[in-house]
Order: sequence, then C-alpha cells, then structure tokens
Amino acid sequence: MKSLIMGNEAVACGALKAGLTFFAAYPITPASEIMHELAGREPEIAFVHAEDEIASIHMAIGASLAGRKAMTSTSGPGMSLKQEGIGLAHMMEVPLVVVNVQRVGPSTGMPTLPAQGDILQAAHGSHGDYVPIVLYPSSVEECYRYAIEAFNAAEESRSPVILLLDGYIAHLQETVDLDTVAFDLKSRTFAPLGRGRRHFTGLLARDGVPRTKDTAYYREWYARVKTKMLEAAAHYRFFDYLKNPASDTLIIAYGITYRVVSPLRGSFSLFKPVRMFPVLEDEIRAAAAEHDKIVVVEMNDGQYRGEVQKVLRREVLGVSLLGGTISLKEIQERLREL
Amino acid sequence: MNYKDYIKWERMPTTWCPGCAIGTIFKQTTFALAEMGLAAEDMTVVSGIGCSGRAAGYFNVDSVHVTHGRALPVAEGIKRANPKLKVIVFSGDGDLVGIGGNHLLHAARRDVDLAVICVNNGIYGMTGGQMAPTTPTGEKTLTSPHGTAYAPLNIQGIVTSNRRHWFARASTFHIVHLKKVIREAVEHPGFAFIEVMGFCIENYGRRLGFKSGHEMLAKLKSDYTLKAGPDGLLGDHELGVVKNDGQSG
Repeated sequence: MKSLIMGNEAVACGALKAGLTFFAAYPITPASEIMHELAGREPEIAFVHAEDEIASIHMAIGASLAGRKAMTSTSGPGMSLKQEGIGLAHMMEVPLVVVNVQRVGPSTGMPTLPAQGDILQAAHGSHGDYVPIVLYPSSVEECYRYAIEAFNAAEESRSPVILLLDGYIAHLQETVDLDTVAFDLKSRTFAPLGRGRRHFTGLLARDGVPRTKDTAYYREWYARVKTKMLEAAAHYRFFDYLKNPASDTLIIAYGITYRVVSPLRGSFSLFKPVRMFPVLEDEIRAAAAEHDKIVVVEMNDGQYRGEVQKVLRREVLGVSLLGGTISLKEIQERLREL
Repeated sequence: MNYKDYIKWERMPTTWCPGCAIGTIFKQTTFALAEMGLAAEDMTVVSGIGCSGRAAGYFNVDSVHVTHGRALPVAEGIKRANPKLKVIVFSGDGDLVGIGGNHLLHAARRDVDLAVICVNNGIYGMTGGQMAPTTPTGEKTLTSPHGTAYAPLNIQGIVTSNRRHWFARASTFHIVHLKKVIREAVEHPGFAFIEVMGFCIENYGRRLGFKSGHEMLAKLKSDYTLKAGPDGLLGDHELGVVKNDGQSG
C-alpha cells in the first residue's frame, strides 16, 4: 500500500521489519521522530527513553547481548557521546544499529539545520583502530531498505552498524510502497546471555581471558576482526552509478546532496555511494577511470573528497556546501567555477 | 550448589593486591549465590571499570565487563531484554557513583530490577590513588594533596530519595551481614543497591598510615555497627537495610 511518510518514520518501519525488539534513545532534533514512531509499542518491543545518549547506546548493547535486535538513534551532539559505546560494541563484537541524523556542528552548532559533517566521525569517531560499516540512504524508500540492511550487516559482522542520514532526508516526505521492497533477514549468530560461561569485555581478550600486554595477540586479533568486517561488508556493496557517455566529469554525492544533483544527470555522470565505509574502492575506481574530472559534492568541508582522493591517488575536486542550506543553482555555479 | 561452582577457577589468582577488600566481598557474593542455588543459566554479572570491575570475569557465568561507569545501563538493557535473568552489577564507587552517577540516579528512579554490589573503598585505586566522590573530607590523595575539600557523596540519600527504594550498607568485616544483604538484594524485585564499605591498602591505606589490609579491616570493625532499630535512615557509621515498598509512608 502506498503511503506518505518521512525518512525517520521509514527508518523505524525498516527496523521493525528487520526484527527490532529493543530501542533506547534520548530526544534530539532532527532524529526524534524515530523515537516517536517506536514509543508505545510495548510489549512487542522494549523501549527506553534513557537519561542520556551514553546510557541509551549501552542499554542497546546489553539488550543485544541478551538476544534482542537493538537500535539507538541520535544526531551529532548525541553521536559524539555515543562513541564510547560504539568502541565497546566493536571490541565485544555486539551487533546493533546506530542512526545518526546529521545537523550542523561542531557542538550545538546551527540547531537544527541539516549537514553531512559527521562522515569521518562515522569511520573514526571512537578511539583506536576499527573497521565500521556505514550506510547512507538518499530517499525515504532507501531509509526503509537500508535500515533493514543495516540490521543484516550488524548481525553478519557482529558489530555496531551506522546508518547515516541528514536532516533533509530524515524529514523528507515521499509517497512510497514499502510492501514492494524485497529483502532477506540475517539472524543472530551467537547465543544470548545465560547460555554459557562466556566473558564479554572491552579489554583485549582471548576466549574471555584478558590479554592486555600481548602485542602479538593484538595483531592476530585485529587481523581477524578486520577480515571479518571486510568479508561481511562485501555483501553490502550498495551504490548507484549513472553514466553519461557525453560527460568527462563524474559527480560523487550521497544523501540529500545526491538528490539535489540528480537533475544534472543529463550533463554529468553521477555516482552515489550508499555504503560509505568501508569505501567502495573498486566501484569508485572503475567509475573514475571513465572520467577526466571527479567532483565530490557534499555538505561538509571535503570529508568524503579526501576519502575518494585516497582511493584514486589523483586530484579530486570538491563542492562544499556549508552552513545548512543547499540549492541546485549554487551547485551549478560552483561546478562552472571548477 | 557450592560456592566454588560460581568461581572461574582457571582465572585465579585475581588481579587484586594482597590485603584487598574486594576478594572477601566477591567470595561472600558466591556464598550468597550458592545459598540461593541460583543456576548459571538464570543469571549474569555486569561490571564497569576499576579494580572491582574485574570481578565480572571471575564469576563462572556469562558475564560482561563494560566501559567506565556504564555497568548500570548495560545491565538495564539486559534486564529489559530478558526479565527472567537475575542481573547482578558488581563494581566500584568511582565507577557507579562517580563517572556513572547519572545512570545511578535514573536506574534507581526507574526501579530497574537489578542487584548492585558497590565496593566503596573511597579511592580510585586502579589508577594509583586519586580522590573519589566518596573520599572522606580532609583526606590526602594524589589529586587532593592538601586534603579533600569536599564532603563525600551521600549514596544512601540518592537511592532513598525515590519513594520506592532498597538500600543497604554493609562492610567487609561484617561478613555474615554482608552475605545476608547480598541475598536479599538479589531476591528483591526492584532496584537494590548495597554500599559495601571496603578499603584499598596499596594505593590509599599506606598513605594514610595503615601498615596492612588487616589494619584497615580492623578499622571497619571499630568504626561500623549494625543499626539497632528497623526504621529511619542509616547513620554515617551504621550498617543495615533501608527500604520502602512505595506503598507505606
């Protein structure tokens, strides 16, 4: 059935479809509608309006260990607080989904104009080395679809998967028929708490026994976890590539920025990464090889441009749209200036 | 059940220093669990960071050792996900009432069905002996070299500020009482918080002039008494249980 819903609601619907039975969060604009949509559904799901962002992600970690599919949602200021839990979930290998609806930062910034400024935070926000999976939808239907895939990727990788939105996509209202979206569901790969004598810890540990001074084991452990993440991520290679044979320029954009540049497909080739991290290296290289100029259009100061440049090892141009507003006219003018 | 069934013997010896209070509190916890005959399948232990935070890994059950201060929210997530599990939180004062203080306020307010065993040694021991929110006024630590200027946090006051509450103070010396209140806390259907007066000889006691852990234990004996009457709050040097089922005044 077709219905008119907003991106945040579609995330909640997708999460429920994926089997979410635990949700904890703290109110923050522009992410709160996810919370509103999931509130009042007890006992089908456990819902906690927690005392803060740190509590909500740690509650989700506990619930996941106890066997539930769990999620928390927030925006930039809350995402900064959740980094502690994201690191813990990577270390303990706990599946969960963390939604970050981006707004202009740093700090309280420009409440609550949309932004795409948390791209590198999604990859590196918690301390230490880890390899996260990050998905970024660019339509209401994709919010639904990739919320489901975020849960699948979380289960398959046993890690906290980040679903990035921006305030525009989160509040975008579109007519969609969610029933037509096809998907598979991944189920839990380890027993819930109470079934063994296991020890889950944020320390480096082998079979539950801390190995905090063992460099050789750290290297072995990290190699295993990195391989695990890359192998799981390989099943989630989501992107769109619209090639325009008449154009020598490839525009890379994601989220709302992709939607805004879409009308330019008559003049340029367009590439939209949905899996932001691990970066789709092969796909971006292949698309870039067919073009002279590569331009990343994004609502930040070149965060993903740097990632693309790292992959391509050649100059990548950028259009940075700072300060919370976006217009096709400005993008066209800035493209002409390049 | 035997208390030995609740200990992961392959993890012994523990990380705790000779003369530390935590081993006694850990052992009394296993005694209480054995008395209740709680099956490993029906429980889990959650710890935060610090010396006491290492306890989770020594219980022979599924256990979780999380980030600093976050034992309560992780435990709450577990409890809400699987209400049949008995969830025990075993951690220290710095973890539970210092960095995790906000979670204490709210887990107590929501009356989450958890049994919290808080080892209060009045110091940040694992990091070398810095002032804790529980350090008595005037005592010298690494971060209060001229003596702590502040009064220690009133944990009893925080927990009992909720109409329905269950709070106990116990001590490492008074072990019969300690075991009894641990059992009562685990069986209490709601948020149960035990402040267990412990001590740290290596990174606190020696600076205060104590020669051994035993001397600190003896001080608990002389400083603390079991509260005589059933009503009212505990005095600063009283041990006992303060509870209200939320129905009575």
